[in-house]
Amino acid sequence: MKRFGVQIPQVFIIVFLALMVVLALGLDIPMNWIISDALVRLVMNGVLVLSLVPMLKAGIGINFGLPVGIIAGLLGLCISVNFRMKGLWGLSAGMLFSVPVAIVLGYGYGAILNRVKGKEEITATFVGFSFIPLMNFFWAIAPFSNPSMLWPIGGKGMRPVIGLKSYFAKALNHLWMVEVMGVKIPVGLLLFFAVLCLLLVVFFRTNFGRAMTAVGENEQFARLSGINVTRVRTWAIILSTLIAALGICVYAQSYGFIELYDAPLMMAFPAASAILVGGSMGRHTHIVHVVIGTFLFQTTYLISGPIANEMMLPEVAEIFRLMITNGIILYALLYEGGKTS
Amino acid sequence: MKKPFLLSAIVMLVSLMAGICFAGPAKDYRIGIVTPTLSASEDEFRGAIRVAKKYPGMIKHISLPENYQEEQETAITQILSLADQADIKAIIIAAGYSGILPAIQKVKARRPEMVVITAPIWDDPDMMVKYIDLCLDTDWVRRGITIPEKAKKMGAKTFIHYSFPTHMAKEVLAKRRDTMKATCERLGVKFVALNTPDPKTGAGSTPMLQFLSEDIPRQIAKYGKDTCIFGTNCPMQDVIIAQALELKFIMAEQCCPTPTQGFPAAMELEITEKDAGDFDKINAMIAQKAAAAGCTGRLSTWPVPVGYFFPEFATEVAMKMIEGTLKEVSVATLSPLAKDVAGVDVYFEKMKPELNNYYLIVMDSVFY
Repeated sequence: MKRFGVQIPQVFIIVFLALMVVLALGLDIPMNWIISDALVRLVMNGVLVLSLVPMLKAGIGINFGLPVGIIAGLLGLCISVNFRMKGLWGLSAGMLFSVPVAIVLGYGYGAILNRVKGKEEITATFVGFSFIPLMNFFWAIAPFSNPSMLWPIGGKGMRPVIGLKSYFAKALNHLWMVEVMGVKIPVGLLLFFAVLCLLLVVFFRTNFGRAMTAVGENEQFARLSGINVTRVRTWAIILSTLIAALGICVYAQSYGFIELYDAPLMMAFPAASAILVGGSMGRHTHIVHVVIGTFLFQTTYLISGPIANEMMLPEVAEIFRLMITNGIILYALLYEGGKTS
Repeated sequence: MKKPFLLSAIVMLVSLMAGICFAGPAKDYRIGIVTPTLSASEDEFRGAIRVAKKYPGMIKHISLPENYQEEQETAITQILSLADQADIKAIIIAAGYSGILPAIQKVKARRPEMVVITAPIWDDPDMMVKYIDLCLDTDWVRRGITIPEKAKKMGAKTFIHYSFPTHMAKEVLAKRRDTMKATCERLGVKFVALNTPDPKTGAGSTPMLQFLSEDIPRQIAKYGKDTCIFGTNCPMQDVIIAQALELKFIMAEQCCPTPTQGFPAAMELEITEKDAGDFDKINAMIAQKAAAAGCTGRLSTWPVPVGYFFPEFATEVAMKMIEGTLKEVSVATLSPLAKDVAGVDVYFEKMKPELNNYYLIVMDSVFY
């Protein structure tokens, strides 16, 4: 238990979740729906959370510049929709198109972050915040031609929300969907996530992956042992950006819409919360933290809504949920600070 | 000395006559239309552009500063600059902002004969009617009656109202919810008020939309498909309409009733640049998609966005006022004009019985 950093706060949130499950059972909220949705939500948000890992491991901190990667993914998806690609192929094409964009953007983003060592998190936040308005300008004039993506009155520029139903909405969600006792298990979706997690684990076992971890553990030491620290950090940032791009592709197909303009603005924060809830302590981050964190964070979200509506006290459940999740994040940040100083 | 004078007099006379002859029926005045910028609000901006196309040379369209809240002084100067141009005989302000009344007061002090129509601005109504010739707005509260009535007509047995604490803290929206509840009780429709995660706090609208896409199937499983779902927040409409296509429940009206909200994204409408802004075509397209999804008669909205309708309607009214063909504003004089512009019936009602020039509108619906 200790190895994965399961601390008092995780125990708290698990107890809270268990309490809510008991309540939900008492209120006759159909549990099979909740479990199905929880599995979908795990992967839908999990890939975005996973994208934080390389940067955390390399000691760069939480990637608050997640919108950079998200935009790479959105661009890939838009290109795919523009060519009217459908189904799993459309989704894969979207992911494929986003790869070069993510590498280019990640490289530039890395160049910025490498100049501000020690202040990466706040810089990243503002890189994200300033990149979004720039992209808003781009979306408004982007030369896409599929009319289902353009403004309905003006007829030029991208709509804020683009429907994917006839393209690749839920393509991955519905892949190998199995129903067991009323619970829909999205096997394809879960497999995709598992493979991605596994790839990342394997990556950190390779020499280059070990070098990345070494830079995170002790930069001086890494430099003395002949590792090109700047290069390794740049690659960690590119990798994070790339996984974030894949993450938004998975997210968008599951949600059924591509959301442009200001939608990615705040997306870094729930992802950061999830990984901290999972027990990540800065450099000491494992893939397990991603899975546990996303599951706990998203499931409390998922279940508190229906309970609140059944019990007719909407605000209370929301306040409790915010208190507990934000409290855990604060604890995680405090604990990490205490350990390093 | 005398000859050049005579010459110039002749030239002036000739050009004046030519002007009269060639100008034909065009009118010798202009109308100023004030809207927000395109990015702040597409509907009003495009609405004004459409009027300018309809009456070339007669419309002076200006847009307010992008960040209106910080630059109210600029907005006042802009509106006053319209009053300085002698050929501008009417000003139409379609902005949906508060704090514009001072500019109108100054305009009226300088040019008492100037026709001013607001569609809408949000200042104190009792003060507004003293200075403004005609105040127009949407009847947000009365929609609490019209929406459930329409839903009942469309076959609803249950009415679900999705909202969240920040919205329910707003008087107009809370009042509308209470009106909806009362109307549902009167009609024998079951009223259910549900809360979503609040998009105005924390992580934006993502958790709210996620919740909606999970909760709607649950509610439809519980209450059956003869349920009308109404959401109070604009981003909700994409999800509600997309789900309506799948689950075949009723969507009587969005929070801001227009074919351009929710429908384009949920139905992936392919609107070419030529058809953009052509609401007859867009409505036909929606009806076709609804039929393809087997939802005929389950979806409805107003045929034209109010923000797009108001600039043109207000221009027509202003022209009639300037030309003296419209002596006084009343439900009887405004309704036929509005019907011409919107293509459907528009119902006017006084905001308060004692205010004679403040009208709220509700439009007739188009059913897909």
